[in-house]
Amino acid sequence: MNNDNVQVPASFDSLSSIRTYVMQAASAAGLEHKRAYRLQLAVDEIATNVVTHGGGSEQPDAYIRVSHEITDECLTIVLEDNSHPFDPTQQTLASDINAPLEERPIGGLGVYLALKNVDTFTYKYANQHNRNILVMYRQTPPPETQ
Amino acid sequence: MEIQTQQVDAIEVVTVQGDIDSKTAPAFQEALLPFYASNDDLVLNMSQVTFMSSAGLRVLLSVYRQASQASTRLVLVGLSEELQDTMSATGFLEHFETYTTLDEGIAAIKQKA
Repeated sequence: MNNDNVQVPASFDSLSSIRTYVMQAASAAGLEHKRAYRLQLAVDEIATNVVTHGGGSEQPDAYIRVSHEITDECLTIVLEDNSHPFDPTQQTLASDINAPLEERPIGGLGVYLALKNVDTFTYKYANQHNRNILVMYRQTPPPETQ
Repeated sequence: MEIQTQQVDAIEVVTVQGDIDSKTAPAFQEALLPFYASNDDLVLNMSQVTFMSSAGLRVLLSVYRQASQASTRLVLVGLSEELQDTMSATGFLEHFETYTTLDEGIAAIKQKA
């Protein structure tokens, strides 16, 4: 059921094509627009992290492979890369989001946003590859009462 | 991403168009540098921003700090619901002065000038 995938160099230049891939998958899965955007944001943040921490520049053959799977319940996006092992779930998250902006550290926001915006997030390392697995349920949750 | 700067009634307006990600954020940051030196009030027109990641938040954080240090006004206008969600989830939104339209943003600065 893994219809297609895309493999791109692990660089910031690849971010927009990764987002396009995600939005196409989200559209195929019938994800509501806001949820599609949230998934797109989460994937972008994780891919950015792979480039930043995986050492795209030190490792010229570093790549990111993006694939997706649509089941009755879920859309799953898998980002696989051959950079150094890096587990986003072990990263220090965006500390205190209630702190004044003057005192905010600059890091940790991206992973915080990634983990917050998907329904489930899983990290695995196997066969010299990082796998970041992001899942969104296809069914839109019932609208909040106004 | 494209950036246009213009002066509207002696107020600097920077309009950003397209996606702000880790690739494009440095250009966004660079476009704002002249205003760091100028001590002018600044309106950031975000109405045509289609995507913004944490890379964009970091630029906003930097321009926010600059504005509060220089005691200049910084106003964001035209934030999409998605951008507002991102800024609210990270505790950014409440710190910024925001308006729906560019006209409202400019009027707000003039009013309290």
